[in-house]
Amino acid sequence: MSDIVAIDRFENVQIGAAIGPEPMFLSKEQSRRYARACGLDAPRFTDDEGARKEGLPGMIIPGNMSLGLLTKLVTDWIGQSGARIVRIGTTYRVLVQPDHTISLQGFVTHTYPEERACEIDLWIENEDGERMVTGTATVQFPK
Amino acid sequence: MPTILDLHSHSEASEDSRAPVEAYLNWIKLRRQQLPLDGIVLTEHRQWNGGADYRALEDKYGIMVLKAAEVETDYGHVLVFGVNDDITARFDFANVRLPAQELIDEVARMGGLAVPCHPGRPNVGLVEHYERKPALENVVAVERLNGGSRKGENERSAELIARFGYKATGGSDSHLVSLIGLCATRFEAAIRSIDDLVRELKGGHYEPVDFRPRRPEVRRAEPVEASSHRG
Amino acid sequence: MVDYDPTLIGKVFEITEPVLVTPEMIREFCEALGETNPLYTDAEAAKNGPYGGIIAPPSFAVTFRNGRHFFQNIPRFGRAGFDAGKDVEFVAPLRPGDKVTLNSSVKEIYEKTGRSGTMVFVVVRSTLKNQRGEVVAHIDHRFMHRT
Repeated sequence: MSDIVAIDRFENVQIGAAIGPEPMFLSKEQSRRYARACGLDAPRFTDDEGARKEGLPGMIIPGNMSLGLLTKLVTDWIGQSGARIVRIGTTYRVLVQPDHTISLQGFVTHTYPEERACEIDLWIENEDGERMVTGTATVQFPK
Repeated sequence: MPTILDLHSHSEASEDSRAPVEAYLNWIKLRRQQLPLDGIVLTEHRQWNGGADYRALEDKYGIMVLKAAEVETDYGHVLVFGVNDDITARFDFANVRLPAQELIDEVARMGGLAVPCHPGRPNVGLVEHYERKPALENVVAVERLNGGSRKGENERSAELIARFGYKATGGSDSHLVSLIGLCATRFEAAIRSIDDLVRELKGGHYEPVDFRPRRPEVRRAEPVEASSHRG
Repeated sequence: MVDYDPTLIGKVFEITEPVLVTPEMIREFCEALGETNPLYTDAEAAKNGPYGGIIAPPSFAVTFRNGRHFFQNIPRFGRAGFDAGKDVEFVAPLRPGDKVTLNSSVKEIYEKTGRSGTMVFVVVRSTLKNQRGEVVAHIDHRFMHRT
């Protein structure tokens, strides 16, 4: 499913290394499925008409789903290294609508060799290269 | 000797950024080829981070760290350079409705310079306010190139600058480590302190510079049928 | 300046009823995200992995929600709140069979202006605990209200 090249150990983590891009077509069905799995029944997450009644341009994906996709990008990168994501922060800048190709991306931005941890920048881009969701995460490798 | 500074950036001292100053400096140091910056200016949101001392980091990385602030006014967001006790006593930086004309005049009188930023941005930029209200007086410079702009916003800023003859700056508006320095300002003169910066912004020669990489072509993903997600 | 009762900051209005984490909940969550990592999806493989069995993907932690009392008591500003972002600290993994409670309080309230106008941010801090009283995660949730 994922084309992300996984990291094997902390010693190979390099500042500036790219994670992704991982392009994906986000379908309305997948968005609805996420909303269902999380018990989110607000119309804005399930149908265009209901979303428009709330003043939105159409169905949007839940913020938590963006957080979930970015967390998955990090855990795919962690792979079987035994590392753990210990923190993630997200900011929702632009509404993410399904039925578009989005791209999940990241950069390793800093390392803490003594703690065997690193910081990662994360974002979700739309087809125009605009960052709709941004975030950062901290990954802890085994000591 | 020319000086290149990113005039607009946010560290973890701002509520919406998680970027440590040290990570910014290390990032620039490792990418000097692409980011030939002499320094960055931290413009934390709605506050004067006067107590922060970055001298040890400046020495460690050989990159200058200057401090300013980004405040919010009735004409949008404004960068305040040369913040001092007089200015912080006169204006409450946490107030999101500061009077822009007073800010521009008083900051200049007290030895600083107020530079409206991202003027092409809806609601928080000069362009939209100029459509409804008289233009501000005594504006010296505004930000033409902002790294956080959405489509068309920097272009609107450029039109405003051409119309009013303002000097033009650039800054990344970075909230993430990997975005630092991608937009900056090149000054003809050497700048070594915040006083130098204010002097040059008022009377010197400078222009925005763009270090953003050309965007690589991202392959389009094919639609995937819902059922294939199973298993 | 934002007008609100400062004594609301830090007050916990309710602790939610425990929610049982079932294998089906985790499976549906994984399917919705296209998750195929054996740590979360393959009981056999996970048995020999670092956790000794399946755990939920980390972001499953944000799916637990506050109850009615909480929303009745937190301050409201202008129109309905939008999800503006989250900061999540993952402390311990969630496993099938865990019973999760949530306690939440208002951490911070502040005002700022942006492309869409003047906004008030209400930051809600939630702590998730399992049936042994161990902290699973801390979540800071930024609700944005347009005024």
